Amino acid sequence: MDKDVLERKVFDLVGYMATSGRNLLDETPLYGPFRLVDAASRLIEILEQEGIASSRLSTLRERIDAGKYTVMVDADRFAKYLDEVVEAVVDHMDGGASEGGEPPRTRT
Amino acid sequence: MEVYEAIRNRRSVRRFLADPIDRETLDRIVDAAIWAPSGGNAQTWRFVIVTEPERIGKLRTVSPGLLGGPPAVVAICQDLGAARAKGGALGETFLAPIDAAMAAQNLLLAAYAEGLGTCAIGSFHKAAVARLLNLPDRVEPVLLVSVGRPAESPDPPKRRTEGVVLYEVFDG
Repeated sequence: MDKDVLERKVFDLVGYMATSGRNLLDETPLYGPFRLVDAASRLIEILEQEGIASSRLSTLRERIDAGKYTVMVDADRFAKYLDEVVEAVVDHMDGGASEGGEPPRTRT
Repeated sequence: MEVYEAIRNRRSVRRFLADPIDRETLDRIVDAAIWAPSGGNAQTWRFVIVTEPERIGKLRTVSPGLLGGPPAVVAICQDLGAARAKGGALGETFLAPIDAAMAAQNLLLAAYAEGLGTCAIGSFHKAAVARLLNLPDRVEPVLLVSVGRPAESPDPPKRRTEGVVLYEVFDG
Protein backbone atom coordinates (compact mmCIF):
# COMPACT_ATOMS: atom_id res chain seq x y z
CA MET A 1 0.00 0.00 0.00
CA ASP A 2 1.36 3.40 -1.01
CA LYS A 3 0.43 5.75 1.84
CA ASP A 4 0.67 8.84 -0.36
CA VAL A 5 -1.73 7.34 -2.92
CA LEU A 6 -4.12 6.32 -0.18
CA GLU A 7 -3.95 9.78 1.40
CA ARG A 8 -4.76 11.42 -1.95
CA LYS A 9 -7.75 9.15 -2.53
CA VAL A 10 -9.08 9.79 0.95
CA PHE A 11 -8.50 13.52 0.48
CA ASP A 12 -10.61 13.42 -2.70
CA LEU A 13 -13.34 11.52 -0.88
CA VAL A 14 -13.33 13.98 2.01
CA GLY A 15 -13.55 16.81 -0.50
CA TYR A 16 -16.49 15.13 -2.21
CA MET A 17 -18.29 14.66 1.11
CA ALA A 18 -17.61 18.20 2.31
CA THR A 19 -18.74 19.72 -0.98
CA SER A 20 -21.82 17.52 -0.94
CA GLY A 21 -22.58 18.77 2.56
CA ARG A 22 -22.48 22.36 1.39
CA ASN A 23 -24.39 21.80 -1.84
CA LEU A 24 -27.11 19.79 -0.14
CA LEU A 25 -28.24 22.97 1.59
CA ASP A 26 -29.59 24.03 -1.80
CA GLU A 27 -30.27 20.76 -3.60
CA THR A 28 -33.15 18.35 -3.74
CA PRO A 29 -33.38 16.53 -0.37
CA LEU A 30 -33.29 13.15 -2.16
CA TYR A 31 -29.68 13.82 -3.10
CA GLY A 32 -28.73 13.57 0.58
CA PRO A 33 -29.18 9.81 0.87
CA PHE A 34 -27.78 9.40 -2.63
CA ARG A 35 -24.54 11.20 -1.71
CA LEU A 36 -24.24 9.13 1.48
CA VAL A 37 -24.46 5.76 -0.24
CA ASP A 38 -22.30 6.99 -3.10
CA ALA A 39 -19.66 8.06 -0.58
CA ALA A 40 -19.89 4.62 1.01
CA SER A 41 -19.32 3.03 -2.39
CA ARG A 42 -16.34 5.30 -3.06
CA LEU A 43 -14.85 4.39 0.32
CA ILE A 44 -15.15 0.68 -0.41
CA GLU A 45 -13.61 1.24 -3.85
CA ILE A 46 -10.60 2.93 -2.25
CA LEU A 47 -10.20 0.06 0.20
CA GLU A 48 -10.38 -2.46 -2.66
CA GLN A 49 -7.77 -0.57 -4.66
CA GLU A 50 -5.47 -0.52 -1.63
CA GLY A 51 -5.85 -4.21 -0.94
CA ILE A 52 -8.18 -3.91 2.03
CA ALA A 53 -11.09 -5.84 0.61
CA SER A 54 -13.65 -8.32 1.75
CA SER A 55 -16.36 -10.05 -0.15
CA ARG A 56 -19.08 -8.51 2.02
CA LEU A 57 -17.81 -4.99 1.38
CA SER A 58 -17.57 -5.73 -2.33
CA THR A 59 -21.08 -7.15 -2.27
CA LEU A 60 -22.37 -4.01 -0.60
CA ARG A 61 -20.59 -1.80 -3.12
CA GLU A 62 -22.14 -3.77 -5.97
CA ARG A 63 -25.58 -3.47 -4.36
CA ILE A 64 -25.11 0.26 -3.89
CA ASP A 65 -23.86 0.88 -7.41
CA ALA A 66 -26.54 -1.27 -9.01
CA GLY A 67 -29.39 0.92 -7.85
CA LYS A 68 -28.09 4.31 -6.76
CA TYR A 69 -29.16 6.13 -9.91
CA THR A 70 -32.81 5.23 -9.36
CA VAL A 71 -32.76 8.47 -7.38
CA MET A 72 -32.87 10.24 -10.74
CA VAL A 73 -35.96 8.49 -12.03
CA ASP A 74 -38.23 7.20 -9.27
CA ALA A 75 -38.23 8.25 -5.60
CA ASP A 76 -40.25 5.21 -4.50
CA ARG A 77 -37.86 2.80 -6.21
CA PHE A 78 -34.93 4.63 -4.64
CA ALA A 79 -36.44 4.28 -1.16
CA LYS A 80 -37.04 0.56 -1.75
CA TYR A 81 -33.48 0.18 -3.02
CA LEU A 82 -32.11 1.86 0.14
CA ASP A 83 -34.13 -0.57 2.26
CA GLU A 84 -32.59 -3.44 0.32
CA VAL A 85 -29.09 -2.06 0.86
CA VAL A 86 -29.72 -1.94 4.61
CA GLU A 87 -31.11 -5.48 4.48
CA ALA A 88 -27.89 -6.54 2.76
CA VAL A 89 -25.89 -4.90 5.55
CA VAL A 90 -27.80 -6.98 8.10
CA ASP A 91 -27.33 -10.12 6.00
CA HIS A 92 -23.55 -9.68 6.13
CA MET A 93 -23.11 -8.43 9.68
CA ASP A 94 -21.56 -11.63 10.94
CA GLY A 95 -19.68 -12.62 7.81
CA GLY A 96 -16.48 -10.57 8.06
CA ALA A 97 -13.90 -13.08 9.26
CA SER A 98 -15.12 -15.97 7.16
CA GLU A 99 -15.01 -13.76 4.06
CA GLY A 100 -11.48 -12.60 4.54
CA GLY A 101 -12.31 -9.20 5.98
CA GLU A 102 -12.13 -7.78 9.44
CA PRO A 103 -13.20 -10.01 12.34
CA PRO A 104 -16.90 -9.75 13.18
CA ARG A 105 -17.79 -7.39 15.99
CA THR A 106 -18.41 -8.87 19.40
CA ARG A 107 -21.99 -8.61 20.55
CA THR A 108 -22.64 -7.88 24.17
CA MET B 1 -28.47 12.06 -37.81
CA GLU B 2 -32.11 12.99 -37.69
CA VAL B 3 -32.70 15.58 -34.98
CA TYR B 4 -35.68 13.83 -33.37
CA GLU B 5 -33.63 10.64 -33.08
CA ALA B 6 -30.95 12.50 -31.15
CA ILE B 7 -33.50 14.23 -28.92
CA ARG B 8 -35.27 11.01 -28.01
CA ASN B 9 -32.26 8.73 -27.61
CA ARG B 10 -29.82 10.99 -25.78
CA ARG B 11 -29.39 9.93 -22.17
CA SER B 12 -27.58 11.30 -19.15
CA VAL B 13 -24.55 9.02 -18.95
CA ARG B 14 -22.77 8.46 -15.65
CA ARG B 15 -20.34 5.71 -16.60
CA PHE B 16 -17.63 6.32 -19.18
CA LEU B 17 -14.82 4.44 -20.88
CA ALA B 18 -11.37 5.88 -20.30
CA ASP B 19 -10.75 6.48 -24.03
CA PRO B 20 -9.61 10.06 -24.58
CA ILE B 21 -11.71 12.25 -26.86
CA ASP B 22 -9.75 13.94 -29.64
CA ARG B 23 -9.57 17.68 -29.76
CA GLU B 24 -11.29 17.98 -33.16
CA THR B 25 -14.37 16.21 -31.83
CA LEU B 26 -14.46 18.39 -28.73
CA ASP B 27 -14.11 21.48 -30.91
CA ARG B 28 -17.04 20.32 -33.09
CA ILE B 29 -19.44 19.77 -30.21
CA VAL B 30 -18.52 23.09 -28.60
CA ASP B 31 -18.98 24.78 -31.97
CA ALA B 32 -22.51 23.35 -32.00
CA ALA B 33 -23.03 24.96 -28.58
CA ILE B 34 -21.89 28.31 -29.92
CA TRP B 35 -24.62 28.07 -32.59
CA ALA B 36 -27.34 28.10 -29.93
CA PRO B 37 -29.57 31.15 -29.71
CA SER B 38 -28.86 33.76 -27.07
CA GLY B 39 -30.95 36.60 -25.69
CA GLY B 40 -30.22 39.77 -27.63
CA ASN B 41 -27.59 37.75 -29.51
CA ALA B 42 -25.39 38.38 -26.49
CA GLN B 43 -23.17 35.28 -26.91
CA THR B 44 -21.58 35.97 -23.54
CA TRP B 45 -20.96 32.28 -22.87
CA ARG B 46 -17.46 30.95 -22.41
CA PHE B 47 -16.45 27.28 -22.67
CA VAL B 48 -13.53 25.80 -20.76
CA ILE B 49 -12.66 22.33 -22.05
CA VAL B 50 -10.84 20.21 -19.50
CA THR B 51 -9.04 17.01 -20.53
CA GLU B 52 -6.11 16.75 -18.11
CA PRO B 53 -6.91 13.80 -15.83
CA GLU B 54 -5.46 15.50 -12.76
CA ARG B 55 -7.57 18.62 -13.29
CA ILE B 56 -10.69 16.50 -13.91
CA GLY B 57 -9.93 14.70 -10.65
CA LYS B 58 -9.81 18.00 -8.81
CA LEU B 59 -13.06 19.11 -10.41
CA ARG B 60 -14.62 15.83 -9.35
CA THR B 61 -13.64 16.45 -5.74
CA VAL B 62 -15.69 19.67 -5.60
CA SER B 63 -18.44 18.55 -8.00
CA PRO B 64 -20.63 15.88 -6.42
CA GLY B 65 -22.67 15.62 -9.62
CA LEU B 66 -19.64 14.82 -11.76
CA LEU B 67 -19.89 11.05 -11.82
CA GLY B 68 -18.37 8.21 -13.74
CA GLY B 69 -14.82 9.37 -14.53
CA PRO B 70 -15.28 11.13 -17.88
CA PRO B 71 -12.17 11.81 -20.00
CA ALA B 72 -13.38 15.35 -20.77
CA VAL B 73 -15.44 18.00 -19.05
CA VAL B 74 -16.80 21.15 -20.65
CA ALA B 75 -17.46 23.97 -18.22
CA ILE B 76 -20.14 26.21 -19.69
CA CYS B 77 -19.58 29.61 -18.15
CA GLN B 78 -21.07 33.03 -18.49
CA ASP B 79 -19.18 36.31 -18.60
CA LEU B 80 -21.60 38.11 -16.31
CA GLY B 81 -19.81 41.41 -16.82
CA ALA B 82 -20.40 41.17 -20.55
CA ALA B 83 -23.96 39.92 -20.00
CA ARG B 84 -24.76 42.94 -17.83
CA ALA B 85 -23.16 45.30 -20.34
CA LYS B 86 -25.25 43.76 -23.15
CA GLY B 87 -28.53 43.11 -21.42
CA GLY B 88 -28.58 44.93 -18.11
CA ALA B 89 -29.84 43.19 -15.00
CA LEU B 90 -32.13 40.95 -17.07
CA GLY B 91 -29.15 39.86 -19.17
CA GLU B 92 -27.06 39.03 -16.13
CA THR B 93 -29.60 37.26 -13.95
CA PHE B 94 -32.10 35.76 -16.40
CA LEU B 95 -30.76 35.52 -19.93
CA ALA B 96 -27.23 34.41 -19.07
CA PRO B 97 -28.20 31.09 -17.41
CA ILE B 98 -30.88 30.42 -20.03
CA ASP B 99 -28.38 31.00 -22.83
CA ALA B 100 -25.95 28.62 -21.14
CA ALA B 101 -28.69 25.99 -20.94
CA MET B 102 -29.56 26.36 -24.63
CA ALA B 103 -25.89 26.04 -25.52
CA ALA B 104 -25.67 22.97 -23.31
CA GLN B 105 -28.54 21.25 -25.11
CA ASN B 106 -26.85 21.82 -28.48
CA LEU B 107 -23.65 20.37 -27.05
CA LEU B 108 -25.44 17.32 -25.63
CA LEU B 109 -27.16 16.55 -28.94
CA ALA B 110 -24.02 17.13 -31.00
CA ALA B 111 -22.08 14.84 -28.69
CA TYR B 112 -24.76 12.18 -29.09
CA ALA B 113 -24.43 12.48 -32.87
CA GLU B 114 -20.68 11.87 -32.39
CA GLY B 115 -21.39 8.67 -30.47
CA LEU B 116 -20.47 10.26 -27.15
CA GLY B 117 -22.22 10.18 -23.82
CA THR B 118 -22.75 13.30 -21.75
CA CYS B 119 -24.29 14.49 -18.53
CA ALA B 120 -25.18 18.09 -17.73
CA ILE B 121 -24.27 18.83 -14.13
CA GLY B 122 -25.43 21.59 -11.84
CA SER B 123 -24.20 20.02 -8.62
CA PHE B 124 -20.80 21.60 -8.08
CA HIS B 125 -19.34 24.30 -5.88
CA LYS B 126 -19.18 27.38 -8.07
CA ALA B 127 -16.42 29.22 -6.25
CA ALA B 128 -14.24 26.10 -6.04
CA VAL B 129 -14.71 25.30 -9.73
CA ALA B 130 -13.97 28.92 -10.61
CA ARG B 131 -10.68 28.69 -8.70
CA LEU B 132 -9.68 25.41 -10.30
CA LEU B 133 -10.37 26.80 -13.78
CA ASN B 134 -8.73 30.16 -13.05
CA LEU B 135 -11.89 32.02 -14.03
CA PRO B 136 -11.79 35.80 -13.69
CA ASP B 137 -14.21 37.33 -11.19
CA ARG B 138 -16.72 38.35 -13.86
CA VAL B 139 -16.97 34.79 -15.27
CA GLU B 140 -19.15 32.24 -13.50
CA PRO B 141 -19.51 28.52 -14.21
CA VAL B 142 -23.15 27.69 -14.96
CA LEU B 143 -23.03 24.03 -15.96
CA LEU B 144 -20.45 21.28 -16.22
CA VAL B 145 -20.90 18.72 -18.97
CA SER B 146 -19.10 15.39 -18.72
CA VAL B 147 -18.12 13.92 -22.09
CA GLY B 148 -16.85 10.49 -23.00
CA ARG B 149 -17.51 7.19 -24.66
CA PRO B 150 -20.51 5.74 -22.81
CA ALA B 151 -20.03 2.59 -20.73
CA GLU B 152 -23.76 2.25 -20.13
CA SER B 153 -27.05 2.69 -21.96
CA PRO B 154 -29.50 3.98 -19.36
CA ASP B 155 -33.18 3.29 -19.80
CA PRO B 156 -35.21 6.37 -20.62
CA PRO B 157 -36.94 7.87 -17.60
CA LYS B 158 -40.70 8.13 -17.83
CA ARG B 159 -41.94 11.28 -19.50
CA ARG B 160 -44.93 12.94 -17.88
CA THR B 161 -47.28 14.20 -20.58
CA GLU B 162 -50.68 14.54 -18.93
CA GLY B 163 -51.43 18.16 -18.17
CA VAL B 164 -48.05 19.25 -19.45
CA VAL B 165 -49.02 20.60 -22.86
CA LEU B 166 -51.99 22.90 -23.30
CA TYR B 167 -53.35 24.77 -26.28
CA GLU B 168 -54.46 28.38 -26.24
CA VAL B 169 -55.00 28.81 -22.48
CA PHE B 170 -54.04 27.03 -19.27
CA ASP B 171 -57.24 25.12 -18.59
CA GLY B 172 -57.21 22.89 -15.51
